[in-house]
Amino acid sequence: MSPGSSRVRNVFEPLERSLITKLWQERFAVPEQEFSGYRFFRKAKSIWAASDVDLPALSYESIGMRIMNCKDRPWKPTTSALQVFGRFASKNTMDLTSDEAKIFLEGGTQSIESGCEAGYVVVFYRGDILGCGLYSHGKLVSQMPKERRLERE
Amino acid sequence: MPSLFSMDHLDRYREIVPDYPAFRDIQSLPLYNSARINTLKIERERLLERLQEEGVIFRSFDWYPLGLKLDSESPGKLLQNLLGQIHIQEELSMVPPLVLDPKPGECILDMCASPGSKTTQIAQMMKNRGLVIANEPSLGRIAPLRSNCERLGVLNVAVTRYDGRRFPRGSFDRVLVDAPCSSEGRERRGPGTLARCSRERSLGLKALQVGLLKNAMRLTKPGGVVVYSTCTYAPEENELVVQEALEGRRDGVDGEHSGDGGAGRHSGDSRDSGAFRLEKVKIAGLKECPGIVEWEGKRLREELSATARYYPHINDTGGFYVARIIKS
Repeated sequence: MSPGSSRVRNVFEPLERSLITKLWQERFAVPEQEFSGYRFFRKAKSIWAASDVDLPALSYESIGMRIMNCKDRPWKPTTSALQVFGRFASKNTMDLTSDEAKIFLEGGTQSIESGCEAGYVVVFYRGDILGCGLYSHGKLVSQMPKERRLERE
Repeated sequence: MPSLFSMDHLDRYREIVPDYPAFRDIQSLPLYNSARINTLKIERERLLERLQEEGVIFRSFDWYPLGLKLDSESPGKLLQNLLGQIHIQEELSMVPPLVLDPKPGECILDMCASPGSKTTQIAQMMKNRGLVIANEPSLGRIAPLRSNCERLGVLNVAVTRYDGRRFPRGSFDRVLVDAPCSSEGRERRGPGTLARCSRERSLGLKALQVGLLKNAMRLTKPGGVVVYSTCTYAPEENELVVQEALEGRRDGVDGEHSGDGGAGRHSGDSRDSGAFRLEKVKIAGLKECPGIVEWEGKRLREELSATARYYPHINDTGGFYVARIIKS
């Protein structure tokens, strides 16, 4: 059976926690213990995190939160996941000013000097996590999903 | 503005609603916007500071510190909403989760979940621990349910898509049935709602509501809690539903209504033969009216007075009905 077939697509396959914690440790230096209350699943090209409980035998549409997209390399954290787990990050994070935050929330691209490695970053403003940015060559590209963007004035 | 015709429909409640003229008058007064603070993402004090800084005018509910009345035309566009720090939710919609009273670590079923306002309130009351099964039969309503859960940072919700009447299995600490209803209590939010309401429509919904509630009662653990709620006034969708579900469960013993509850007996399924009782619904700071015990000349069970009716002119809200059922 090919990985793209519907049967495989519709199954939430349990994943070792260490597989996930290693990736978040490498990219964002999130300590492993911050994930200790959760369990992880793979469905198609996405990774899901849910509270660490045994699930009744039911047919599920979703389990917990979709936290990562592994369709492309490198893997991409979801906005929702960064808003939960990003606060434990100590690497590849960026604090924006008020003007920069506005551009980011509107889904824009802007030039920003930062010591971050190229790739996905956790974007903060006043201690709140706004979401996920793609940083490279001094440019920050907002990854805010359309339905969660501020409307341009 | 409700038409005269749709207001006539309300006349059937003249005898049960206190201060009926005020009840009629308030129907044409639009309801303010309101929101719940999502403590999974932000502390209450910090959120209030943020709103103040942005010049948003708000007032906390008298009865629930996490509820806010917002003086904002499009509160959905507030940054705090986009970031999931608040969720736009009607005032009385915050009542059923409080009556359900879920605890961290429990296993909860929300049988009619989308768009997830109550689901996510339950998830936050459980501090993102334990498990909430959010069931929603309609495929088109799964996306908003999931999107709200993710925006609000919820990790303890799993979504299923069964017909609630046939939700197959489970042994839940608590089950919420926020049933599909004629939504008479939403007239202040959606003018014209009343024009679609009738006794016949309510009777049609009743069969579905009874089916949902009976299955919810079957799926609840002994000692567990079932909360049944609607945003409508029609006794056919409220007290009569609760009465029929309670009798459907009990007639296995007294055998008087052999037309309905026999299936469980014949299949030898004894799991759902537990006794049920109603517990008083009371939210401090919010005025409720007791469930009615007589309708269209017929006496109902006295214990239905433990259920709660919330009327728009009494608390300046929409309308709601809530029952709390305990499985012994």
